[in-house]
Amino acid sequence: MIYTIVYGFSIGAILYFISIGLSLTFGTMRVINFAHTLTYTIGVYALVSLVAFLKGYFVPAAILAVMVVIPISYVIERFIIRRLYGESLDYTFIATFAITLIGVDAIKWIWGVNPYPMSDPIGKYLMFGGLSFPIYRILIVVIAILLFIALNLFFKRTIVGKIVVAALEDKDGVRCLGINVDKYFSIVFVLGSALAGMGGVLYAPIGSIYPYMGLSILLLSFAVVIVGGMGNLNGTFLSAFALGMVMSITARYWSQGAETMVFIVMAIVLIFRPIDI
Amino acid sequence: MKKESSLDEGKAFCEKPVDFIKELRSTPIKEHGVIDLLGIAAFFLVITPLLSTHRITDFMIFCIFAMSFDLLYGYMGRLSFGHLLFLGTGAYCSGLFIKYISGNPLLAILVGIAVAGLLGMLLGLIVVRTTGACFALINLAFNHIGFFLVLSPLRKITRGEDGFGVSVSKLGFLNFNSGAIMFGFVLLCLLLVFYFLKRLTSSPYGIMIRSIKEDETRVRFLGYNTYLYKWLTFVLAGAIAGLAGGLTALNYHYVNPNVMDVNSNVGVVFACLIGGAGNLYGALIGGVTYMIISNFLPLYIHRWEMFLGLSLLIITFRFRKGVWGYIQSSIEYFIRRKSFFRSV
Repeated sequence: MIYTIVYGFSIGAILYFISIGLSLTFGTMRVINFAHTLTYTIGVYALVSLVAFLKGYFVPAAILAVMVVIPISYVIERFIIRRLYGESLDYTFIATFAITLIGVDAIKWIWGVNPYPMSDPIGKYLMFGGLSFPIYRILIVVIAILLFIALNLFFKRTIVGKIVVAALEDKDGVRCLGINVDKYFSIVFVLGSALAGMGGVLYAPIGSIYPYMGLSILLLSFAVVIVGGMGNLNGTFLSAFALGMVMSITARYWSQGAETMVFIVMAIVLIFRPIDI
Repeated sequence: MKKESSLDEGKAFCEKPVDFIKELRSTPIKEHGVIDLLGIAAFFLVITPLLSTHRITDFMIFCIFAMSFDLLYGYMGRLSFGHLLFLGTGAYCSGLFIKYISGNPLLAILVGIAVAGLLGMLLGLIVVRTTGACFALINLAFNHIGFFLVLSPLRKITRGEDGFGVSVSKLGFLNFNSGAIMFGFVLLCLLLVFYFLKRLTSSPYGIMIRSIKEDETRVRFLGYNTYLYKWLTFVLAGAIAGLAGGLTALNYHYVNPNVMDVNSNVGVVFACLIGGAGNLYGALIGGVTYMIISNFLPLYIHRWEMFLGLSLLIITFRFRKGVWGYIQSSIEYFIRRKSFFRSV
């Protein structure tokens, strides 16, 4: 049972990395970004190449992989997403889905369709009271909690963060103060994409790597964002860990049903609290 | 059966009930849409020799599905990313009915339509309350649940990933195993669905759902129960998709979970957009175009997903009206120019 909890926390941490960007982009720009987990997939594949290139040094490869994601996400924001502000949701949906199709196909082109194996970079276990936990998973949870604290400080203390929080509440109000909101939106978008890339980089050693990995986790992170509330930072944190726990506990008793359980939870939440967007 | 329900709805939802039968008798034959139906039938008959009969049957089934999606997306403005759930339900229910109960194909299709409609009624109660992104996502979630159900927990009945074969028994002269009969039957279904939807969307009910697309709050202010209309449209779209599903099962003699694969939903969205959403001809043109692209493009271009993505981007940014929209506006343009020259 303790294993289940540790696994649930580590899945929750990965979900948190990915969905925080999604929640922010939705909350500020009102754009449902289907292409969000494309950056996650790109991060993973960049990591695969970089680890091979750097002959197995994981940490520098991981940092470089996150760096690779940043310019790509900026290009997506600048040329596609920025044209979609204020459009009807259908078109943003379709356009971002089209980006995903192009990106996934490009990945298939460059790296091929076969899944890549990747091993745990630490590979050690923490012995605690006769039980052994993989250190890597615990490390992920610790990084997620640190990130949560850092993001909270960022949004409460820095001026950029404050502007973003204000724009979450009232975009037009912020614009009336003479602040160029679009510039901050693009910062938020790149930040969110980089975090998704980081989630991918951290998840790669414990999951499987294939071109469509982004699509399967995208649905989960949408569920996280809907359960936690669109644009609600603390809600996203809580719901990511709660849904990670739901997945892990379901998987213990009924391994195929884990993802479906998340969608059932999401449907129940939507029934009782429909979101008007 | 279909025509009646259209009439009933027209009567029930119109403020001043129009006597549809009288209207139908008094209007000249041109406006009945008979010429349209003949045109569509002629179109499919003409392109059949170019491709194979089986392929065209497949195209027409997809067109039926695209029209049901168009009712939901084009006319009512609700983008669903999980409409394949209903097609899959129809296909599975028809297939299972043939496999376990009786080999009668017509009954099987009716069962498919009924179960998909029932599912639409149930899910509609929840789904219809949401709009925009939530509507798309919650449909996606239900599609995922459905896909998972046939794949894993119902494995004993549905045979999971492998799927199962469907062998139809003969029904008098209707031998659904022959390609020609299947072609004729599907064409008949397509024309029926087209006629039904054409009547429906030009009735007061159709005006209602189009006004819901434009501004739902305002319609509600006028005192209409928009919830009911949205629910009905959802159920109808589901039932027609169920019909397409039943036909799919009969056409392929085979059902497997790919019929409701979550990621294939983009196909029908693409079809509706390229043809021009909010118009039945658009759905037909888009359906045929999409099927030609997805059937033949992979043979010539290896990276056809990239092509699909790029063309979707172009459609969203430059080409929103779709093929039919452009045809319409150019016809209007010519008419205007003609009258202009005459007046000069």
